[in-house]
Amino acid sequence: MMTRVGRMAAPLGGLAVALALLLATRGLDQVVPGDQLGPGFWPRLVLLGLGAVCLARLVDAARRGARAAPAGRDDASAAPPISWPKLAAAIALILLYVLATPVVGFPLTTLGFIAGFMWLCGTRSLVAITANVLLGTAGLLYLFVKAVYLPLPKGDGPFEALTLALYRALHIF
Amino acid sequence: MLANLGAGLVSAMQPLNFLMMTLGLAIGIVAGALPGITMLNAIVLVLPFTYFMGIVPALLLMIGVYCGGVFGGSITGILFNIPGDPMNVPTTWEGYRMSRKGQTRYALGLAIMSSAVGGLASALFLAFFAPPFARFALGFSTVEFFSVVVFGLASVSVLGQSSMTSALISLFAGMFLGTIGTEAQYGVERFAFNVPFLKTGVDFVTVLIGLFAIGEVLDLIAPASPATAPAAPKGSAMPRLPLLDLWPLRWSLARGTAVGIAVGGLAGAGATVSSFVSYGLEKQTSKHPELFGTGHAGGLVASESSVNGSTGGAMIHLLTLGIPGSAATAVMMGAFLIHGIQPGPLLFTKQTAEVYTIIAGMILANIVMIALGFLAALSFATLMKVPTPILNTFIVVFCFLGAYALRNDMADVWLTMLFGILGFFMRRYDLPIPPLVMGVILGPMAEQYFLTSMVANANDLTVFVTRPVSAVILLLSVLMVLWPIVKTWRGRDKLTKDGEFA
Repeated sequence: MMTRVGRMAAPLGGLAVALALLLATRGLDQVVPGDQLGPGFWPRLVLLGLGAVCLARLVDAARRGARAAPAGRDDASAAPPISWPKLAAAIALILLYVLATPVVGFPLTTLGFIAGFMWLCGTRSLVAITANVLLGTAGLLYLFVKAVYLPLPKGDGPFEALTLALYRALHIF
Repeated sequence: MLANLGAGLVSAMQPLNFLMMTLGLAIGIVAGALPGITMLNAIVLVLPFTYFMGIVPALLLMIGVYCGGVFGGSITGILFNIPGDPMNVPTTWEGYRMSRKGQTRYALGLAIMSSAVGGLASALFLAFFAPPFARFALGFSTVEFFSVVVFGLASVSVLGQSSMTSALISLFAGMFLGTIGTEAQYGVERFAFNVPFLKTGVDFVTVLIGLFAIGEVLDLIAPASPATAPAAPKGSAMPRLPLLDLWPLRWSLARGTAVGIAVGGLAGAGATVSSFVSYGLEKQTSKHPELFGTGHAGGLVASESSVNGSTGGAMIHLLTLGIPGSAATAVMMGAFLIHGIQPGPLLFTKQTAEVYTIIAGMILANIVMIALGFLAALSFATLMKVPTPILNTFIVVFCFLGAYALRNDMADVWLTMLFGILGFFMRRYDLPIPPLVMGVILGPMAEQYFLTSMVANANDLTVFVTRPVSAVILLLSVLMVLWPIVKTWRGRDKLTKDGEFA
């Protein structure tokens, strides 16, 4: 269960972000003629609302005892325990997929991603992984590149040449 | 009128016309179901093909895409927690939970039937009440539209499962995300901080796909033991048509359809607003509001019937006033003009045959949609038999593609994945996702209507309460926010009294 400081940290962070963003709205209304409401009006209203709710939450957290239950279930006590290494690996794999795609190209990164993510999700059959990697990637390329003309990233330098060769081999180009 | 409608039905039943309508329905359902490809995309894609067609098949093709498109997104929402369109979000909240409880067939069947009934009722309303309703709606301005959006935002008070402050934090965060990018009125950049991709704003589809689909995948993977992992939807996913099961939900169906027609009839406030308003209203009027968000059939039926119910309302504005209520109806108006149909007050008297063929097409489309929706749901449901690791992997890849397809920009993919991670932690720490989604979608609409109203009324805030329709809607919004608080107080009072007498 969270301590009082722990419960106060999140709304305090929210309040700080709201105030910082509120400062960033200065100057937004310079272009506005006369007494018209400018482009800064609505964001300021929203950020004031966000700040006010965070402040209310902060006051509520401060008033409660360190061991008292919060108004809502704001900790993860009722949720099943998380495997942090597995979660970190999944997030890292997803981010690596997005990061690598412009450089390596969509087809090649997708081949790697499908294999890696399926393994991470628990598939251990090499046949299943290989079949899904090859058929899945080919199917996606036919659907999105050949049929829908989606200009998916081809990669840079040698990877681009490799992607184009793959497209030619699959009769996509 | 009945004779005109009969003639329209006969025209729509001609083999080529019927085929085009069915084809349009199929295209609309599939396009609506695929994340990143919206019903609007589908209408735009089929538009060039109508150039070579006769007037009636062309109109029926477009009508088919329109009616099918608003329903399609519910299928993937129910099966995979990936709403195809923002309007399908409330359906996803309940439908996916029902699916996880093993009620996939029931949820799909309810969605098909309530969509069809809502759409059919709104088409009949269009046939019989279009001109008088249009005259009434003509008096509405951005003031009323703003009030309707506020009503949608006010329903956040019923969306927070655990606490009101959590729901409000989530809502304001979503509304803030909606302000990022280049502002429409003056072209000023807001909160872009010189980051190029932020200048074009945060597309709400990236938020939707990320929070719902990627967040869900991470939620399924993360548990330390498979035994404690949330159950992925399993079992037979073949939809069944719950004709008799719909009877106990008739009032939810009626409310959803009525809200859909009314909100759809207000130009500018389309299916998305009506689905949120209808869901919020349904929860407020329900005897078991605590069951909403856990897989409540009433919530699904109300939301789904309002989405399709809004199609008839939107067409009233388009046909009788020549004012398109949404981007989709704007493209359809273009198609009408290409084929020599001039939407406007004289349409019902000067081009009677064409207009009643359109209406008859909508009636038929909603009937045929039961069969086609069933087949489409069956096809997508086959994917449920795929093992979870494979399904999770391909959901991530499809989310990648759906986000990239928005603007052919990797920045949207980054945003989707980052919102996915955010969605996981929001689930874990009990920060409700629906209000954030609602804020991103409805926030920019509220801003646009508010500022336009202020410009038109010399910054006079009282205009929102001096115009009767706006005042009534705002009053209802206030009641909606206050009602949970009153109920809580009454509950406490009752508990105290019980304690005293115990």
